Amino acid sequence: MAYDTTVLVIGGGSTGCGIARDLAMRGVEVTLLERGNLTHGTTGRMHGLLHSGGRYAVSDQASARECIDENIILRDIAGHCVEMTGGLFVQRPEDPDDYFQQKLSGCKECDIPARVLSGGEAREIEPHLAKDVKRAIEVPDGAVDPFRLCVANAIDAERHGARIETHAEVIDLLRDGDDIYGVTVRHDSGPGKRTHKTPGSTEDITAEYVVNASGAWAGQIGDMADLEVAVRPSKGVMTIMNVRQVDTVINRCRPKGDADIIVPHETTAILGTTDEEVSDPDDYPEAQWEVDMMIDTLSELVPILQDARTIRSFWGVRPLYEPPGTGTEDPTDITRDFFLLDHAERDGVTGMTSIVGGKLTTYRLMAEQIADHVCAQLGHQASCATADEPLPGSENLEALETAMDDFGLRSPVARRSKQRLGSRSQEVLDTNEPNPVICNCESVTRAEIRDAIEQSGSDLNAVRIRTRASMGNCQGGFCTHLIANELVDEYDEPTARAAYDELLQERWKGQRHALWGEQLSQAMLSYALHATTFNADGDTARSGQAIDFAAFDSGQSDSSGGTTGRATTDGGTQRTDQGGDR
Amino acid sequence: MAITDDVLVIGGGLAGITAALSAAEYDTQVRLISYKQSTLRHASGLIDVLGYTPDGQGPLANPFDTLEELPVGHPYERVGTDAVRDALLFFDAVTDDAYAGGHTDANALVPTSSGAVKPTARYPAGVESGLASDPRDTLLVGFERLPEFNAPLAAAHLEATGVPFDVRGVTLDFPGIRRDDAKVIRYAHILDHDERVDIGRGETVARPVLAALVSDHLDGESRVGFPPVLGDDNHDVVRRDLEERLGVDVFEVPSGPPSLPGLRLEDLLYDALEEAGVRVTTGVEVVDYDSSNGHIDHAVVDRTGQRVPYQADEYVLATGGLVGKGIDSERERVFEPLFDCHVEHAGDRYEWFDGDAFGDHPFARYGVSVDAELRPQKADGTVEFENLRAAGSVLGGYDFAAEKSGSGVSLATGFIAGVRAGEVGQ
Amino acid sequence: MSDAAHTPDDGVSSDDEFDPIQVFPESTEMDLRPGADDCYKCSTCDTNCPVAEVDDDFPGPKFQGPEQWRLKRTEDHDIDDSILKCSNCMRCDNACPSEVPLSQMHNTARGAYVDEQMNKLSREYWRNRLLSNYRIMAHLGSKVPRLTNFVMGLGVTRAFNEKVLGITSEREFPDFATETFREWWHNRGGAAASRDRAQAARTSRGIDGDEPKRIAYFHGCYSNYNTPEVGKALVRVYEHFGYEVLVPKQRCSGTPMYANGMLQDAKRAADTNVPELAAAIDEGADIIASCTSCSMSLRQEYPELFDIEDVERVSNNTWEGLEFLRVHEDLESELQGTTADVPELAYHAPCHARNQGLDGQAIEVLSVIDGVDVEDVGDSCSGISGTYGWKEENYDTSMKIGEDMFQHMEGASGETGMTECPTCSMQMEHGTGYEIRHPLEILEVALLEGPEAA
Repeated sequence: MAYDTTVLVIGGGSTGCGIARDLAMRGVEVTLLERGNLTHGTTGRMHGLLHSGGRYAVSDQASARECIDENIILRDIAGHCVEMTGGLFVQRPEDPDDYFQQKLSGCKECDIPARVLSGGEAREIEPHLAKDVKRAIEVPDGAVDPFRLCVANAIDAERHGARIETHAEVIDLLRDGDDIYGVTVRHDSGPGKRTHKTPGSTEDITAEYVVNASGAWAGQIGDMADLEVAVRPSKGVMTIMNVRQVDTVINRCRPKGDADIIVPHETTAILGTTDEEVSDPDDYPEAQWEVDMMIDTLSELVPILQDARTIRSFWGVRPLYEPPGTGTEDPTDITRDFFLLDHAERDGVTGMTSIVGGKLTTYRLMAEQIADHVCAQLGHQASCATADEPLPGSENLEALETAMDDFGLRSPVARRSKQRLGSRSQEVLDTNEPNPVICNCESVTRAEIRDAIEQSGSDLNAVRIRTRASMGNCQGGFCTHLIANELVDEYDEPTARAAYDELLQERWKGQRHALWGEQLSQAMLSYALHATTFNADGDTARSGQAIDFAAFDSGQSDSSGGTTGRATTDGGTQRTDQGGDR
Repeated sequence: MAITDDVLVIGGGLAGITAALSAAEYDTQVRLISYKQSTLRHASGLIDVLGYTPDGQGPLANPFDTLEELPVGHPYERVGTDAVRDALLFFDAVTDDAYAGGHTDANALVPTSSGAVKPTARYPAGVESGLASDPRDTLLVGFERLPEFNAPLAAAHLEATGVPFDVRGVTLDFPGIRRDDAKVIRYAHILDHDERVDIGRGETVARPVLAALVSDHLDGESRVGFPPVLGDDNHDVVRRDLEERLGVDVFEVPSGPPSLPGLRLEDLLYDALEEAGVRVTTGVEVVDYDSSNGHIDHAVVDRTGQRVPYQADEYVLATGGLVGKGIDSERERVFEPLFDCHVEHAGDRYEWFDGDAFGDHPFARYGVSVDAELRPQKADGTVEFENLRAAGSVLGGYDFAAEKSGSGVSLATGFIAGVRAGEVGQ
Repeated sequence: MSDAAHTPDDGVSSDDEFDPIQVFPESTEMDLRPGADDCYKCSTCDTNCPVAEVDDDFPGPKFQGPEQWRLKRTEDHDIDDSILKCSNCMRCDNACPSEVPLSQMHNTARGAYVDEQMNKLSREYWRNRLLSNYRIMAHLGSKVPRLTNFVMGLGVTRAFNEKVLGITSEREFPDFATETFREWWHNRGGAAASRDRAQAARTSRGIDGDEPKRIAYFHGCYSNYNTPEVGKALVRVYEHFGYEVLVPKQRCSGTPMYANGMLQDAKRAADTNVPELAAAIDEGADIIASCTSCSMSLRQEYPELFDIEDVERVSNNTWEGLEFLRVHEDLESELQGTTADVPELAYHAPCHARNQGLDGQAIEVLSVIDGVDVEDVGDSCSGISGTYGWKEENYDTSMKIGEDMFQHMEGASGETGMTECPTCSMQMEHGTGYEIRHPLEILEVALLEGPEAA
């Protein structure tokens, strides 16, 4: 049988993109399907911690060792996605001493560099830590931008011949007896780059082998072929602060508990998290208590958080998995390890493997292992190169540092742009055209926006995750329309309008959890701008409502022959001060 | 010694200024105290009265047809339709020929920078030739480094609303602007002063160059719309100069913030305050007050550390809404921070908003509720202070963004608050 | 605290004034990112910036303030060099509807820029240090005022200043007084003499039994070296109301130093000023300044920038000269019926006065006096902003900013100017040729020289 593609990967998160890149680099023809934008599932909904392994050094030393290994690899191959902030496990006076000791010895056992700091030393590194913190363990935690990481993997996969389809939802698995040979996919608009208002279509894609890398949704994919994949999705909240109160990852050093981590992420700090099992990864309550707990509990570590501005909260769903029969009750106790489920071995159904569990820090390792497995199934001889080959944007970063070219931008704008674009900076920013800043909060210029549009079509959420435009304190209030304006060269006005509407609504959604104080003022200002000044809510182009223009005032002097609105009894004097020929 | 006047208006936005001006019509010494600059500078400079009903019907061709039908508690219902008319007449007198629209009760449809049209009751004279009910063909001009206004997109959007004319957009390089992040006041200054500019063909002056650039793109249109950067202090001169050079009408497409039309209106109104003999104090905050038996004795102003008493017979609270910080909020509550006037709101903050960005947002209607004399009321309906009135967006009971009623409410309530305070204070 | 024992020396003897600037920890430690929480991006600050209006190389206060701070990570040290284009007029502080600490952000960023990125051997650096330490120059100059005035006025000197130092030759250096304020004060008998005069005034006003009233005068550099008549007016007016005047030892208020990013120099001066002024407060005095930039600095910038004992107390007890009288005396009644034979005045409210809520004050107070006709020339910035307009590279910008004010002054009927700020008065004089007065001088005429005066 001739297949449309050799390997079909379901899921455009870090794991799926990592697998696609790995296989493509080994010369395997691969197609990746993602139902939303890349990172739409769990990858785009995490706190962005690049684990040193310290968090698992007591409970799960195997994971801890994997983390520190991958941490070192990612700094190298994904330099432009990683910020090596360092991390602290901070002990408050009420936190147990014996756990602190276990953490320290656990780190040493797993070869995680760790040293103890006094409370004073810790506060020298992070002045906003509470005055009474007792001591801390310093570890090489970092921050990673999951969007950039994922997109870079996808770009590189494409460069190696892969087909990447976003907004392409798998609605069925094609199964012939005990063999899975492809999927049925529904393209939201397309196939190809997403353009709003393009009609969708359905397509059967056959494949020699299918990889189910849909994370928390793996169970739903399994169901399509009557295979049980018992993922146990567990939700957790992340609350985004407007600014970085800390520049180091701050972990609470106690056995386990909610609200125990602050990750500096780009221009913000992210507070996390909770851990509650949910039955449906697409439908679960987002509760006020979770947000309040992040602020109140983490204020014990960093007191200024209590009155600081949060711009948004979001929830992610962990794709936890444990082998049948383990029966762990508390989701916080379920292992964070990953599992490769070959359905041929497990269920007697050939042609598909599911990968479940795991974490972003080890995405590359997971991808390597599943690529090894797939190649073995295909009889394909090739070895993995992903640990050595830098991702697009991360090549020769030292050269970028020394070049000192600001591309005519103000230095903080240039700095942030280069941090995002890495080695692609020259290619994107070196332009002779005017290059105004479009998103002022995050310093994203027109050139970077247009580059993202070129990659991802009219989908401004895809532009957002590539550039961070609209992810700052005004949450798109002052730039949603400006980003949409940049579509004009390639797309028509209705497309730009639909794209604006979609981004504005998406930005509103997450802000709802932050609507008090300054962010409520911001929301009112943005609402006033878009409704009062632009009249986007009363726009008849959107509603299709016909207006009787003649019933409205057409101006007092009206020398044009237009109809004038009804005059008042007091009349008003004819003005004669208008210059120019009419 | 308290600094003493007859009427003390707290807040320097449209409502506060109107209150101060109307109080000053009486034989009173009026002081206006404004802490920070007002949200007038955010606004597009249009004077909306009522574009849509509270349940979203519209655009309304005539706001006065609907004013009588507004629900109890709406600021317009509180002051009555005649007050709205009186306030508009007052505004027309103050702004003279800088504003137009007073010749008719009908709303005008003004093209906005997004290309949608918006119903409004009064508009700057420099907007008049751009009205959407005027059927003349139109050219819109945008500038490369001003991403706020994309002229081709706005033109296409305008056509999609069904306007009775043809419209095109072009994007040009503004003469004299060298940096991508130049502020709108820089654009206006270049035109105001007709600065010398270098466009690579030797030095020349800005307005003729701009006119020549635009002229190349005119194709029979009899009017040209620009983003609102056509001068600040010399806006009229700039616009007429361009009209003369182009031989067509020139108008601005309101936008913002930042908004030069809002800024020009603010300048005009502050000049009127000076002329009316209103004492203006800016840059310091009213932080506290002293009262007895429901009567405010004096307000306390923080003057960079010193607490100075400001005394008057009558007080007007015009401190703004959530944006102007006349209404503030915390995780658990919404409140009026100065006099702690009662603000009705849901206890659960997740009931403060709607899930749709343009949904029916309760937060947009939060503010103090008032009696017919505009005196803030407690939860039980009794007045908070007998000599305190509230005006403008500190008031609750209306969603100015959805209704397009912000400026009208500020004018009408500011006018009435000023009249009542002036009557008592004289 | 009595200064009678002091010589009229103004404390400029210490030789640490020009010590090499050290890399100071304050600037790098100060994390103002949380201040960005208040910004909701409305751009009101940008529309108030007089520099951004005339020079598009300056990206405006929003970018230089909350945006740049929010983009910062600890390891980032590059601050955009356009920070030196900010003139420190502080109009953005007054503009922001959301209380973003804009000028504090600018001052801190500028300090860090000068500290970490500016070449300490450059002409610009030394020119800026020289300008911001005006007091040192003035101190030397006033030793031989006539000679200095002569030399500074010479074309060759001005050419040298411009070519070698980068100080514009367009401006004339202000003349030094032949007798500084402190010399006058000393010769007059210092605090002891003031105590006697105040006592006499209290007796004649019939308030003998009251607590002695006391103020400490922060004269700043300019009224000491250049316009001692302003200081003298303040002393006489306060004594007229029965206040005993103290003149504590003092150094520069720091304003020109913030504007040049010389925070260490400013801190050094504050280390003298704060304890001296706090001691005066302990003696029951309030601190009174006649220069609105000096009062601004003591009130706002001191607590924002320096962690010095008593800095808050000094801030909370500092007043501008007219403001204090207005609140503590019945100034309006006192002025009712007074007359002053002064020319019609064109008044410019300095930006720093606006930030303290003092913009309408001079006109409100002085218009009570018969014969005083004051016209406000509008709310534009004079454009000089202290040392800013003295720099060769800023001169044109400075004059462009001032254009509005010059026009309004020409348009006003009066041909004499009035303002509280010494450098605004330089600019007003430079742009119009008018003589410029200080409101306290008018008050002095009304209360002490008019026909009704006691």
